[in-house]
Amino acid sequence: MSEHNAPAPKSSDDPAFTLPASLAALRLPLCVGGLIVMLFGWWLASDIGDHGDNFGMSVYLTAAVYCMTIVLGCLFFVLIQHLVRAGWSIVVRRIAELVMVMVIPMGILFIPVLASLWTGEGTLYSWDNPEYAIEHGLPLDVWQEKLRWLNQGWFTVRTIGYFAVWSALALFFFKNSVRQDKTGEKAITDKMQYWSGPAVMLFSLTTTFAAFDWVMSLAPMWFSTMFGVYLFAGSILGAHCLLAVVSYVLQKQGALRDEVTVEHYHDLGKLIFGFVFFWTYISFSQFLLIWYGNIPEETEWFYVRQIGSWGYVALALIFFHWMLPFAGTMSRHVRRRPGLVCAWGAYLLIMHYVDVYFMIMPTVEDGNVGGVMGVVASILCVVGMAGLLSGLCLGLAQQNKVVAVRDPRLGESVAFENF
Amino acid sequence: MSENNEKKVHGVVAEYTSVDTLLNACRRVRDAGYEKTDAFTPFPVHGIDKALGIKPTVLPWIVLGAGVTGTVTALVMQIWMNSIDYPYIISGKPFLSLPAFMPVAFELTVLFASFGAFFGMWALNGLPKFSNPIFTDPRFDRVTDDRFFLYIDAKDGQFDRGGVEKLLGDTETDYVQTVVDDDSSDKVPKPFFMMWGLVVGLSVIPLLVVLKMRVSHSSQPRFHVFYDMDFSPAKDAQQYSTLFRDGRAMRPDVPGTVARGEEQANLNYMTGIDMEALTAIDPSRAERLVRRLNPYFQSEVESAQEPNTDTEKSSTDEPSQGDPEKNPAAAGDTGPEKAKASQADASDTAPAAAKPSVMETTPWLDSNPLVLNEKVLADGRKNFGIYCSVCHGMNGSGNGLVNVRAQKIMSPDWIQPSSLHQETLYADKYPAGKLFSTISNGIRKMPGYAGQIKTRDRWAIVAYVRALQLSRNASIEQFKDIDEPEQAKILKEQADAKKALQEKADADAKAAKKALQEKADADAKAAKEKTDADAAKASS
Repeated sequence: MSEHNAPAPKSSDDPAFTLPASLAALRLPLCVGGLIVMLFGWWLASDIGDHGDNFGMSVYLTAAVYCMTIVLGCLFFVLIQHLVRAGWSIVVRRIAELVMVMVIPMGILFIPVLASLWTGEGTLYSWDNPEYAIEHGLPLDVWQEKLRWLNQGWFTVRTIGYFAVWSALALFFFKNSVRQDKTGEKAITDKMQYWSGPAVMLFSLTTTFAAFDWVMSLAPMWFSTMFGVYLFAGSILGAHCLLAVVSYVLQKQGALRDEVTVEHYHDLGKLIFGFVFFWTYISFSQFLLIWYGNIPEETEWFYVRQIGSWGYVALALIFFHWMLPFAGTMSRHVRRRPGLVCAWGAYLLIMHYVDVYFMIMPTVEDGNVGGVMGVVASILCVVGMAGLLSGLCLGLAQQNKVVAVRDPRLGESVAFENF
Repeated sequence: MSENNEKKVHGVVAEYTSVDTLLNACRRVRDAGYEKTDAFTPFPVHGIDKALGIKPTVLPWIVLGAGVTGTVTALVMQIWMNSIDYPYIISGKPFLSLPAFMPVAFELTVLFASFGAFFGMWALNGLPKFSNPIFTDPRFDRVTDDRFFLYIDAKDGQFDRGGVEKLLGDTETDYVQTVVDDDSSDKVPKPFFMMWGLVVGLSVIPLLVVLKMRVSHSSQPRFHVFYDMDFSPAKDAQQYSTLFRDGRAMRPDVPGTVARGEEQANLNYMTGIDMEALTAIDPSRAERLVRRLNPYFQSEVESAQEPNTDTEKSSTDEPSQGDPEKNPAAAGDTGPEKAKASQADASDTAPAAAKPSVMETTPWLDSNPLVLNEKVLADGRKNFGIYCSVCHGMNGSGNGLVNVRAQKIMSPDWIQPSSLHQETLYADKYPAGKLFSTISNGIRKMPGYAGQIKTRDRWAIVAYVRALQLSRNASIEQFKDIDEPEQAKILKEQADAKKALQEKADADAKAAKKALQEKADADAKAAKEKTDADAAKASS
């Protein structure tokens, strides 16, 4: 990369590197309002249908998994930038670092999911119901094997394990990055790059199994070895979309105006475009193999999602999670307009919620979809949870810089140009 | 420099020592209005497109067009091949199943888009280009090292050598040079032609080898390139296989299953018999038929027959099906009843034919349950051609190829196939259901075709056989679109033909009779001669 026209770097305490006051003022309203809206949506959902508890918990899990995938996507973004020693992304890396620390509040938000295992029988996960196998006429010897993995104790241990690994990774990379804001040591960058390899391996294992446990086990007799990648594909797409949206909002509010340039939006746009197709490729591959094999125990998951109104959701995912954004973000002219990249990012964040909803909600007992009220409750719940996490994230951002101010390659990143 | 004036001028080039001086010069040239310009640098320089005023390339549109062409090509190709031209069920999917077409569509999209990008780039850059006059200047070699060059082409609309040299001389450069034709020959080097000729010559060899093989003969056995394609390891019907415990290569139907397209629950349709009437006459036989056709009962019977074979005889003794006197109530009555049954077993090699009484008492369906239309008849004709015509002949006269061959080799145990035109097989004497049953279960030497022809197609064959029979007995009045004079004409032709046939048959019969007479005379004569000779011998 040529650095001949790099502007003189600003000093590390420049006001452009701190959270704008207009956003900082939103911390408390977002936290409190988000918590209230989330609990209200959850409460509303718990009152729907004959199995309200089940519906409410499913709505809550949808919101939690949605937020979790984006937080994990940001963690992966940070890991992969270190792993490949990316220079272009340093101006947006701190935003991802701030979001990935939200894995710790997410751990607290996951307590209700674990609690549902211990307080009720099959409130959320049907395998937790001791009568499930007999009610559904499942072969008991197979069921016993399943239960060796899917039981309250082991599930809880695993979930705590996932959060321990992710929290450790997030804190390690966040703390080192923040420490560099003060010292500017190159050794810190080297250290993070050194550990990013093992971290990516740990990350891929934990997210795969978390996807199996939290989402796939909702249909306990169904299995797909691609499921972890499927959830991850939406996750990494969501992370890039969030980065584009947050960068744009920060710039509108006065931060990072000279640092994040058209070139960075162009790159984020390319990655969004690529990961839209990656998501399609993975989800279609999963579908194609199961559809072609046509084995009842495998087709069950898609069968449920093809009948009734879920069939329309499946078609909507094809058209609006793939075709429309794929065509929309294909052109270089779109990707070099920050406003358009931000708009497509926001749009895809919504579509990612539809995708998560499509994964989780069809397993609600009795196929209860809750009607309009159920959808409203679901949206309230996820908007509330996202608001709560945004508030917490803004609080963290206010105490730190919104960009890695003394990263040795910040200048390179600012001067980055696409061909 | 003087000799340069005589040579063709291609353009003017200037040398720079840094990116900044080059970019400044580029901007000046751009602002002066030159369009056919180019910059040469040792490494990619950001912003040079803008500095030179190069318009965005159209390559992305070429790639997009090629990619869409790839998608459309793949989809059209697969839909045409698999759904229209040669409809073929693969893995039980519909002929037109989009998900199965997606991988190929994806691959062709990528392939075409890559070709579009690669060859589009060639076309836009004017490649392949073996040489460029700019290489005549030895100083230009440093462009791959540490020098930057700006070039203005003589093809530019406002190119004027003096002006351009002055413009470039004003920029931060100490070297401006006019690019002229080089002195070397523009002929293509000879080795190139030699290599080309060699490649073409070698490529003809395989073709010549193939052509020689096509026209010559060899006493050597054929050379098998792909042995297992010439000799497929797949098993044929009736072959032995060690793969399965029962040693059969062909797998029987799985108990409790029904073949695709055979799910009809209509027993009359499956058997050709009015089952309700049969239940009234012979309930045990009706029950056996139901059990044989219904896979649910089939598996039940199989599991039940193990412990008490004797008492369940009525449901398991298939051969006793043709025993009309058997009392269904006497299932527990073993002794004589069983002996009788086994006797029936022994004699019952061709159950339908050997027991005409049951064939007569069975309440066969009188009419074809299919709705008769052109399609049914066409299917019946097709299946008749495939399965029946080898013995019964294409016209149903009973003289198919197998029969011809059997007559020729005088096969001792061959039974002549029936002519379908004999009156005993007409609808009034041989109901449709009975014909269907014969096709399904066989008669005399003829095997049953239930396993090979679908139920619906067997009924279609019944319909076609009736059409064949009708073809020999149709009266002209049935053809409404033939007017009276033409009818008379056709009738006369027919009468003439019949008369001629009759005369020929008479003549043949006469000749045969005569030949027989002559033969008898000759035999008698020979016998007489023999007796005479014997007598003579005896007397001597």
